[in-house]
Amino acid sequence: MKRPRIGIFKFTSCDGCQVSVLNLEEELLELLGLFQVAYFREATDRPLRGHLDIALVEGSISTERQRSHVIEVRERTRHLITIGACATSGGLQALRNWASIEDYKKAVYPSPEMIETLPCSTPISDHVYVDYELWGCPINSDELSETIASFLLDKRPGIPGYSLCMECKRKGVPCLLVVKSEPCLGPVTRAGCGVLCPALERPCYGCFGPKEGANIDSLLNVFRKAGLSDHDCALLLDKMNTYSYRKARSREGLQ
Amino acid sequence: MKRLFKVDYLSRVEGETGITAEIQDGEVTVRAGVFEAPRFFESFLRGRHYSDIADFTARICGICPVAYQMSAIHAIERIFGIEVEEPIRELRRLLYCGEWIESHALHIYLLQGPDFYGAESAWSKKDYLPIAKRGLSLKKLGNRILALLGGRPIHPVSVKVGGFSKLPQKKSLLSIVPDIEDAFVESLREVERAARLQFQDHAMDMECVSLCTPREYPMNHGNVISNRGINTPMAGFLSMVRESQVRHSTALHSKIWKDGRESPYLVGPISRVNLNAEKLPEEITTTIKKCGISLPIMNTRMGIIARSIELSYALHEAMRIIRAYEAPSGPSVRFEPREGEATWITEAPRGILIHRYGLDHEGYVKDCTLIPPTSQNLAQMEIDLHDFIQIHIDKSVDFLKKESEKIVRSYDPCISCSVHLVVLEGNKHVKTPYGVRGGIA
Repeated sequence: MKRPRIGIFKFTSCDGCQVSVLNLEEELLELLGLFQVAYFREATDRPLRGHLDIALVEGSISTERQRSHVIEVRERTRHLITIGACATSGGLQALRNWASIEDYKKAVYPSPEMIETLPCSTPISDHVYVDYELWGCPINSDELSETIASFLLDKRPGIPGYSLCMECKRKGVPCLLVVKSEPCLGPVTRAGCGVLCPALERPCYGCFGPKEGANIDSLLNVFRKAGLSDHDCALLLDKMNTYSYRKARSREGLQ
Repeated sequence: MKRLFKVDYLSRVEGETGITAEIQDGEVTVRAGVFEAPRFFESFLRGRHYSDIADFTARICGICPVAYQMSAIHAIERIFGIEVEEPIRELRRLLYCGEWIESHALHIYLLQGPDFYGAESAWSKKDYLPIAKRGLSLKKLGNRILALLGGRPIHPVSVKVGGFSKLPQKKSLLSIVPDIEDAFVESLREVERAARLQFQDHAMDMECVSLCTPREYPMNHGNVISNRGINTPMAGFLSMVRESQVRHSTALHSKIWKDGRESPYLVGPISRVNLNAEKLPEEITTTIKKCGISLPIMNTRMGIIARSIELSYALHEAMRIIRAYEAPSGPSVRFEPREGEATWITEAPRGILIHRYGLDHEGYVKDCTLIPPTSQNLAQMEIDLHDFIQIHIDKSVDFLKKESEKIVRSYDPCISCSVHLVVLEGNKHVKTPYGVRGGIA
């Protein structure tokens, strides 16, 4: 049987999710035996040619050039999978979406008119059809292997869409929100990290983005009762998945 | 006759970068361009709370997030006047060791290594696979140290202003010591292997810059020194650096501004080894002598040797810290935010990483400057490329192209880092309180 062709692409990002691919370590070499790595700029010299069975896409779209490139990648690809907060929800750099890009440029750069960039940083799904999205800043390597293995087995990846609280309870980690009144985003955030922060006695800060049907406003009311200002609440959501949390909130408002 | 070659998108480096070289009438012009998209970190950090800074700046780079956390945390602690306990200081150093191991292993074995064996990637040649495997297992060990302290290797979560959110158990730290011991023994052999590689002879007279402290091999503390007589506290160095814009790049180029002249400089493993060799443990210095590595290293192609030495050092240091570790009285110290400004520099795997923050009385960011190692090395890298092409001007474009790529790779550039700063075409010099930024170089 011909090995499926895999490509790994990068747009605007920190490279961390691509590094997660390399962090598969021993599994990486096994993986390489199952696929033909057709494109992976970070690790090989091979240029992009022909069609791909699977594309892993890291990074958000933030320049005109990237906008046309991602369309090209889509056209060459059977299954397009986004990896990480930037590709799936615009990333930390999507904070510019809520500011005036002109102000942003002026704040730092001497000749703002010369910067070539789009006013917004947006997820891949705003531009092309995405077959599957992996959340996380960075992604969880186990979820990545599960997704790739599922592709080979032609099944849906077994990645939960429920909240971090479920994972936290199962692990028996004391609830920071209930016990210490700390502003933990766990109730509205996707599971997937393996309860990193609460286990280290730190409230969740939303690396994995909003879970489906998250009731964000209700959680913010709890935070307000604990003494947080509206401004503080807004800042809590405006991090690596700002675009998705805000979208989830406005969807909630419409219902 | 005019000859031109272009590498549009360099492979096996972190991020998006290219090289353009033009040869006309025996004159060479080289531009190492960075075309990674800007991300505006310095803009959106404004108005954010100090407690967000380390999480945000970590997202500048997925290979060296700890470096960003360290420079940020130390700068903020300086503003607030926080002194952490000795064990906290040591644990942060241990975290940094994890990152040096992971980052150096990635570069030595997966990114640059294949160049010495004519391979297009770490897995494209059967002969190279055993080497790639050794690299992956070293990288994994670095990642384990990071995960033990910070929950995960990329963007770890436990570091905070004042200390850590939770301390590791000594027991769990000790559990990885046997593996580190084995890896250390192996790493000395790796230094020997690196020294046996074939390098082009290309010694340069260059200014090497690194931190230096009498106490230890530098990571989080020290003065900035150079082989040409710089010796200044961290803040003093920032005022010596002049960042300029170049037409072809979305990253600024940094140079040292001294006596009315600007000059390029080199940061990173070569500079650190050159300026701090006497602080390396005996096992490593013996190995260095045994395999005939002569210090200082003035050939930038030999970065892989310096990186191997440091990989070995980071393993040795991690063992030392874990064995000596005694838990502090608490995971973090209490403090009150206060208004102020501070600069801090730490040694990222690729060289000094400069952070400066101005905070208001509640601890919200008023303004900040972030200068990553790669933008400090870009000017030196261009000179290096220029000299190389000038010497080999008669060779084929294919040869020049391939070799130029190798030269850039030997610097281990981290492009995602360098480009939170954008450069534009323009001709203005902008005076900031911290030196001059702007202008076409």
